[in-house]
Amino acid sequence: MKKRVATLAVLLALLSAEAFAREPVEDDWLPQPPLDPVLDPVAFVVPDGLYYVTDTYVDDVVATSGATTTYSTTTIHESTGTYARVIDTVGTGASSGFDGLAFNGRGALTDGRALAGTYYQNFVLTPDGYVPVSIVFFQDDSETRRHQVASSASPAPAVSPVSANVPGALAAAPQIFDASSPPFSTENPTAPASPTLRAGIALAPDGPTLASAEVLRGRLTNFWPRAFADDRPVAIRSWRLISAQPDHVSASSGSVEPLAAEWIQMPAPGVTWSLQVEIVTELAPLERLAAQITVTVRSPALID
Amino acid sequence: MRYDDGGTAAVTTLVMLPLLLIVLVGVLELGALRAIVYRATAAADLATIVAVSDQDQAELTRTGILRLAPDAADVARDYFARNLSATAPALAASPHEIAETADVASFPSAPTVDPRTGATYDRPTVRLIASVPVKTPAFALLLLPAVTTLTIRSASSPR
Repeated sequence: MKKRVATLAVLLALLSAEAFAREPVEDDWLPQPPLDPVLDPVAFVVPDGLYYVTDTYVDDVVATSGATTTYSTTTIHESTGTYARVIDTVGTGASSGFDGLAFNGRGALTDGRALAGTYYQNFVLTPDGYVPVSIVFFQDDSETRRHQVASSASPAPAVSPVSANVPGALAAAPQIFDASSPPFSTENPTAPASPTLRAGIALAPDGPTLASAEVLRGRLTNFWPRAFADDRPVAIRSWRLISAQPDHVSASSGSVEPLAAEWIQMPAPGVTWSLQVEIVTELAPLERLAAQITVTVRSPALID
Repeated sequence: MRYDDGGTAAVTTLVMLPLLLIVLVGVLELGALRAIVYRATAAADLATIVAVSDQDQAELTRTGILRLAPDAADVARDYFARNLSATAPALAASPHEIAETADVASFPSAPTVDPRTGATYDRPTVRLIASVPVKTPAFALLLLPAVTTLTIRSASSPR
């Protein structure tokens, strides 16, 4: 027995070969190259009031309707991947620390006072955080020429970037601006002998112009831009949609055909929607008239 | 002495079986009746919603305010009959007869008070109250009325 065991031990010793496997820890004694220092993550600073931009500045608008000149801002419903926040809101004639910093400038009334409006600061998101890239001024003012009375306009139009804080409020709104069109006329008032022009929006081709209208949710409603010279209807050469919040519109501009709009979403509580169009008449093709109608969307519902 | 309780069990079964059958039939019929209630109520709800969606276009053009169409009550009645037709086999009267006898009221101006229900409507409203006779043959087996009349009510307005 001992002889057999000894023979087996000798055979194992002779036949065994070196295993060519690497020992996992055999290099531990070697000096390790210095590692790059890992910095602690920097706190990601988000500026106060920052929101994702869903409505982008297009152009400043100066529209004249009768004796009233309105200074507003057109936007386009699109996201450029930037962020913005309100940095200052100024009244008519008030100065701001951001005057002169906005890339689009800040206009003035005919009497020289600076326009009322809101300054927004735009940001882009980089690996280092939110980086400010520009400042834009959204003008929102009006004046009446005959009395030279300037006043702050009503709250910012619903299409202003402020509305981006209402998720979905402008979702799926179609493109409704034409930035390539010429700017509005800022010429002085028409001659006293010329008729007084005014514009409005009606729900029928010969219907009365309305300041507000109720529409049913999901119902296609026709809005007819109309113009009057001394309260007499005048032919419309063209109209162009300035701002709106419908889910579907038939066109952003036209001539004799109406604007057909449809709302699918309901507005948030307290939010009022409106349609704003500019109208050019055959009588005064150089003058652009502004018309607006407030829209209340209603939906049939059961009553308990 | 050895007792055999087989006879007692037979007597108990004979006594309890009819009672169990009565309970079972009653539960089944009540369930079926409940389903008819839901269907008839849905028919009325949809009818009033359709009627409210039918607006007076001339008034809207003139004032910009939604108002019910003059025939809103007729529209509600018509659609109530149409919607009930899917449940017609379970009804003891034809859908048209039920719709014709329904109390359908249109309240084009608001606020207003419904003289029948006392409800106050703050928007133009269409209200429908109908008595729906439903066949309940299982109840007849239990010596109960063979027809059970349901009263359903629905009101709708644009909000």
